[in-house]
Amino acid sequence: MANLTLEHVTKRYEDVTAVDDMNLDIDDGEFICLVGPSGCGKSTTMETIAGLTKPTEGTISIGDRDVTTLPPKDRGVAMVFQNIALFPHMDVYENISFGLRLRDYDKEEIDRRVEHATDVVQLEGMLDRMPEEMSGGQRQRVAIARAIVREPDVFLMDEPLANLDAKLRVHMRTELQRLHKELDTTIIYVTHDQAEAMTMSDRIAVIDGGELQQIDPPLVCYNEPANLFVAGFIGSPSMNLLRGRLTANGAETDDFAIDLDVENVPGASAGDDVTIGIRPEDVYPTDTQGAISTPSDPIEVTTDVLEPMGDQIFVYLTFDETDAGAMRGDATGSDQLLMSVDPDRDIEEDESMEVVFDRTKVHLFDDASGDALVHGVEDLTSSGFETRVSETRSGEADE
Amino acid sequence: MATIDGSNDSTGSNDSTEPEGGPLARWTKSVIEDQEKRERLYRALFIVAAGFFLLTTLFPFYWLLVLALTPTSRILTGDWSLPIIGIEFPHPQGFNVYAFVEMFEQVPFHLFMFNSFVLAISTTVIVLAVATLAGYVFGRLDFPGRGVLMLVVLMISYFPPAAFLVPLFDAFLGNAVVVPFLGIELFESPRLVNTPASMVLPFSALFLPLAIFILTTFYSQIPDGLEDAARVEGTTRLGALVRVIMPLSAPGLATAAVLTFITVYNEYFFSSIMALENNPENWSPLLGGILSYQTQYTTEFNLMAAASIVGVLPIVIIVIVAQERIVSGLTAGGLKE
Repeated sequence: MANLTLEHVTKRYEDVTAVDDMNLDIDDGEFICLVGPSGCGKSTTMETIAGLTKPTEGTISIGDRDVTTLPPKDRGVAMVFQNIALFPHMDVYENISFGLRLRDYDKEEIDRRVEHATDVVQLEGMLDRMPEEMSGGQRQRVAIARAIVREPDVFLMDEPLANLDAKLRVHMRTELQRLHKELDTTIIYVTHDQAEAMTMSDRIAVIDGGELQQIDPPLVCYNEPANLFVAGFIGSPSMNLLRGRLTANGAETDDFAIDLDVENVPGASAGDDVTIGIRPEDVYPTDTQGAISTPSDPIEVTTDVLEPMGDQIFVYLTFDETDAGAMRGDATGSDQLLMSVDPDRDIEEDESMEVVFDRTKVHLFDDASGDALVHGVEDLTSSGFETRVSETRSGEADE
Repeated sequence: MATIDGSNDSTGSNDSTEPEGGPLARWTKSVIEDQEKRERLYRALFIVAAGFFLLTTLFPFYWLLVLALTPTSRILTGDWSLPIIGIEFPHPQGFNVYAFVEMFEQVPFHLFMFNSFVLAISTTVIVLAVATLAGYVFGRLDFPGRGVLMLVVLMISYFPPAAFLVPLFDAFLGNAVVVPFLGIELFESPRLVNTPASMVLPFSALFLPLAIFILTTFYSQIPDGLEDAARVEGTTRLGALVRVIMPLSAPGLATAAVLTFITVYNEYFFSSIMALENNPENWSPLLGGILSYQTQYTTEFNLMAAASIVGVLPIVIIVIVAQERIVSGLTAGGLKE
């Protein structure tokens, strides 16, 4: 068990920079998820921590020990791979004890540890099976047992559940959480599935283009995304991002306006291009606006496509009289608005209605830098405001 | 509708009663349509092909056995026509099993066999050791010039071995190696003729490219994740090669080893020259031993045939054993990820 620090870690290949100046400070016993789209550099980050690739620049230390130049075997890390990577020519016992046998532990110690590990992952009585005789979930357990049997300082898990079917994945997710509680070891977990990241981790590190975008507890990433990328990536379905601009009276798009005092928005002034972000669950039809105390002005919309999910209905809305806007077809400044409503609500396609936003949940992002300006605009009309993006955090996000 | 149905019926019955084409076309058609006939044809073809192959490969061995069992005097003068039928066909003229003892009395054939084994085993060990490292580098690492280097290795393997013979023989006699035309002396080789080194060195060089090629193919197929897993678990790259990649490439290793061993065991061209006389002390191999039954005035065909049979036996055993290994390796390997 140990903390893990990455300082200015950069990995450049001939023509691409896979990891760009990554700084991470991970506490002992923390469960950290590295999330990001495919090819964002999260797996490369993991490989540099494991020692499978050497960083071009920067230092990696595990428990106050600089391991940057150490080979993988001397780093005190164990890894669970996306493709499981059990040795096909060894049975379960040989697979789990591989690392211990290499380190010349005596037979009784190996047996004791293997027994404990198989106990933890519930694999009793399968020690003499070959990997090819096992199911995907069982193989994954063997891989996890192989990792925990060495009692490493840091666990690295590179999308360990990606190759399992959906049901097993949810099951293994809870198993991993239980495991973390039991072992209390630092775990670095790479995934592109933000549901896994949200449910399992103490903190989420969102990575894009090799750069760290934000590292915060899941709900902070969800409620106060540091920039446009995090806002769009965390949350499913993702946040509505509507392109607009700041005026003297507030923020407005081609279709609607939100009152606020621009003076109170830090680092922005009237005339700046901004993106207004609002999550689908923070959009309400006007007749249910009693549920919130801080509605925005009503916006006229027409329902387009309905997606009943069972526990809620996702409603795609188009703004009225926005033919010009619809033609623009902008990816981020969408002319569409997604709203989630109660499943019992009687709603039809092509229905005209009015919706309001919960003003405490409206986010403003600076278009030029992509950074968040403010989360919640309710109090911006008066002197104070809800959650201003602190200077330090926006500084971190820049890195 | 009725007329159309009727005409269809009539053409159908015409087909069955009066088939078109000659007998060959009819037979071909029936084979294509009738599954049982088709299978019978395939079986017949298999028997013919396999029978021909077995006949051509096994007949020389039969002939060797005939020669070994027939006393020398009757090989050249005997009557080879078969009893009763009268056609001339090689068959044993007597049953002189003593030839298999006499061959060891006349020539120390076991020493020649020992030489061949030593040469073949040491070459195989050297080739496998070097080719494993080279195969790992070519198969699993990415570096500039890999393709060109691999091509060079393969190109060298296509050079005729005879091209190397004269300069090698010259060097192994202990003469200085000199750059042609310039006269610059590079180094002076120790006198290696009549030692195993003079044969093992060229053999290793000649058989390396093929082994490298085989192992490169096998090693490159081992998933990267397995090597990474082994390294994280506590091996070095070399350790991962020995503990994970090589066991999983057992069929490839066996193939390379068997090919190298058999070729060196059977080798004659280099060894007949590097061993200056057909003496076991000069590290003359198996074939040198077989030729020793030939003197200036006599050629003991029966003993040569007996020695050939004895010399082939180890190879037969190795192939049978290795074949089982290769097959079991192929089925147990199961590189599933």
